[in-house]
Formats: sequence, C-alpha cells, structure tokens
Amino acid sequence: MTRYDHVSRLACELVPGKLLALLAAGCMVACQTAPPPDQMARTTLQTAPADLQLLCANAVATASKVDSSKVLPVSSSALDPQSFNVELSASGRKFNCVVDNKGVVKSVHPA
Amino acid sequence: MKRFVTPSSACGKQTPVAFAATLLVLTALATEAIAQTQIFDPKTREWVDYDKTKARQYYARNKQLPEAFRRQIVPFRTAEDPGTIIIDGNQHFLYLIQDGGQAIRYGIGVGRDGFGWAGKVRVGRTAEWPTWTPPAEMVARDPNAAKWAAGMPGGPDNPLGARALYLYEGGNDTIYRIHGTIEPWTIGLDVSSGCIRMNNDDIIDLYSRVAIGAKVIVLMQGAALYKGI
Repeated sequence: MTRYDHVSRLACELVPGKLLALLAAGCMVACQTAPPPDQMARTTLQTAPADLQLLCANAVATASKVDSSKVLPVSSSALDPQSFNVELSASGRKFNCVVDNKGVVKSVHPA
Repeated sequence: MKRFVTPSSACGKQTPVAFAATLLVLTALATEAIAQTQIFDPKTREWVDYDKTKARQYYARNKQLPEAFRRQIVPFRTAEDPGTIIIDGNQHFLYLIQDGGQAIRYGIGVGRDGFGWAGKVRVGRTAEWPTWTPPAEMVARDPNAAKWAAGMPGGPDNPLGARALYLYEGGNDTIYRIHGTIEPWTIGLDVSSGCIRMNNDDIIDLYSRVAIGAKVIVLMQGAALYKGI
C-alpha cells in the first residue's frame, strides 16, 4: 500500500464519522449563528426578557390575590433555551413562576 | 433660560478630581461585577465583553452606539397600559409601551454595582435642560463641584443632559431620574449612581411622549434598594 493509499483510506474512514464530527465541532466555534441586529447585546446574567417577567407578575397577582402594584420580579434565569424561571416578591411573599419564550406561563407556586 | 434649583439628585457627572480619585475603585468594581454586558462581534462571530473602555472605542470609531442600544420598535407582550415605562436594568433597555403589543425600546446606562435599584414609581415632573445639583458629599470633597452647590444651570455641559424625568414614590421625590447624558458611550453599561441615563436624542424623544404620572416599573436583579412596593 502506497502512502497515498494509506491517506486516502484514512480520509474515507474519517469522512462519515469523525471528520463530520470534527467539522461540526469546529462550526460550533467558528460558525456561530449571528443574532438579529437588535439582539446583538446581552449580559452574562441571561435574565428573562422584561415582558416575560411582567407576565409572571400578572400571573402571581392573580394566583396570590395580591394587588398587582405590590408584585415585582426580583430575579430570573434561563431554565433551558425555551423557558425561564422568575422569582417574584408579592407583598413580601416569595413566588416562583415558569414562563416560556412564547409568553405562556407554565406554573406559579410559592417559593 | 429659566433657572430653578432642584433637590440634589443621585445623578450626575464625576468631576475630574473625583474621577481621578475614584478611577481605581470604579475599575475594581467593573472587574468584580457579576453581570457583564456583551455585544456580538460580526467579524469574529463571537460574544465579546463590552466595558467602559471598549464602549468608548466603539463610539469613537462608529459615532453611534451598537445597534441593539439604538432606539427601535420591538414586540412587547404586556397587560400594562400604553405610556407605561418598563426599565430592564440588567439588559440596559427602557421600553415605552405602545398600542398593539409593541414598545419603543431605548438603550440606557444604569447604576453601577451597589447602586442598582428596582421598584414601581411614577414620573412626578419633567424638565428641559435640567439643573444639576451635586450631592453634599461631592460638594465637600471637590472644589469643582462646590461651585455648583446651588445648582449647575442646564446646558450642553450639564451632566443631566437635555431632559430629565423626575421619579416619584407617592408624592415624594426618589432622587432618581431618567435623564440625558454628555457621555453617550456609557449607554449599555453599569456606570451611574442609580439614575437611568439615555443619549440626548433618546431622552428628548421619550420626554415628548411621556405624560406626568406615567407608571415606571424598574426591573433589576441584584438591586440594592427597592422603591414603591
């Protein structure tokens, strides 16, 4: 077997599996999808968008029967790429709310 | 120009003396801050940290802010009435609610570490080219601030910029304001003493759209203080 044959064989073995995996891994680093221009800023905290936090505030006000003016989101974090957990204070009582990125409140419960 | 003295506010520019004295402290705070603003670099296709130095360089190079911090209409799902102001201190956006599930989004600068606050307040009054009155401690330590102890008249050098919305809790002035700035590159950063700063074009636009009494909801994870709840 010539050296050329050896390289060709190696390449063929790699192409279906390892080479594609290597290409994919490289792409994750170098080919990161650009966000729309209006979303090209963020903070490392990755808090929930303001509208989703306030949807949770409405849900907590309804569930707790606390005046909505006394309900405020105080913290939030991403649970997964599609949903967020929002912590809220309702007249001093703490609640957790899960909301998805379509604005659907999935759950509300006391902390 | 009509001049009137206002209560000292949490807002304002650091004078050169104060700036020199606190530069190291601010640098340390910026380094230790938990939340770091990042912008997406289209050339490297990576998220990169956006601190005061990089923000100033970006502004000098482009003569404008990164696109995300420029004024724009965005979808906003809410039950709040049109005319309500929603401030997302962590993401550095101010939303003015519009009809039809939309909002006008503006970029803002907010309180640095330890100076952030959250709550529900109202626009108590507004002013064009507002007077800036330095706080007493700044007057005491800084001769440049001392000469404005009775209030610095509004104008292009005034740190409050072109307009100010004074935030009230009930009938009381919170000492916090939404105002313009003479440092537009600081939009997108945690730099103030608790006030919400916008570039002058944006605060003029917001001022023209906001009514006295408008509700203001301030969201800030890790707030050092809560108002109005």
